[in-house]
Amino acid sequence: MKPPDQQLTSAQVGSVLKMLALTTERELNCSECLQHVGEFAETRLASQPVDAVMASIEQHLALCPECREEFEALMTILQAGQ
Amino acid sequence: MTPTEINWPVALRATDSGEQAAAMRALRDVLHHGLRIALSSRGDVSEAHLEDFVQESLIRILDRLDQFQGRSKFTTWAQAIALNTAFTELRRKRWQDVSLDALLADGERLAEPGMMAEDVLGAQEDRQHLVAVLREAIEHELTPKQRAAILGELREMPFDQIVELLGTSRSAAYKMLHDARRALKQRLQAAGITGTDIQNAFNL
Repeated sequence: MKPPDQQLTSAQVGSVLKMLALTTERELNCSECLQHVGEFAETRLASQPVDAVMASIEQHLALCPECREEFEALMTILQAGQ
Repeated sequence: MTPTEINWPVALRATDSGEQAAAMRALRDVLHHGLRIALSSRGDVSEAHLEDFVQESLIRILDRLDQFQGRSKFTTWAQAIALNTAFTELRRKRWQDVSLDALLADGERLAEPGMMAEDVLGAQEDRQHLVAVLREAIEHELTPKQRAAILGELREMPFDQIVELLGTSRSAAYKMLHDARRALKQRLQAAGITGTDIQNAFNL
């Protein structure tokens, strides 16, 4: 099967270019992000300042649309429980 | 007992099968409730899907109990795993039939005029220049597998699907993708393109 047969959109090309701009030498991977994202979500919900580990989660979420989608869903659940 | 009063790691490891079963039931309810909230706006998730996601999540959570460090509430940590389980499966269904060859062929078409939607090329010269540099860098700076990984990313393919296509481990695929992004970034920098240029050209 071919990849989705549609033209590349401005949003797609822009998001990859944005990813390149945000790329750093050392990054968390998705598994590391998953391990810490709960703590990051609770920190964000409590409007607390982020430490270095939490900042690296934030950077990964800016780069990774999948982890960001899951983080946003987690925030929805936590906010519903407040 | 409410979810906040349960000592989850202890209860889920309890040797008393009754206590462990009760904890499992309570966790199942917590995850089911959370996934229902998180996925309520999707039309492609049935009650049967929810049940499957919860079952799979419970297995993963029990396998990883030792990794829970107590830096968040247990239920938050567990919900994150459940969401990852559910979204990974939903993404996999969408991309399951795409092959590596098809993705590489997609890359060969990058230079074709019809490949980019009008809104990419538009009238802005700076945007056209950015896209031209990106195309050239993808074609010349990357190995075939790096190119496939980046093209997958460009097509918004889930990372797990990229891993499967490349036939490698998650960590090897992540390194491949990271190396590819670094190579492309260096090429953009060498062409004098900055993050601000990208943000301005694409209204990010």
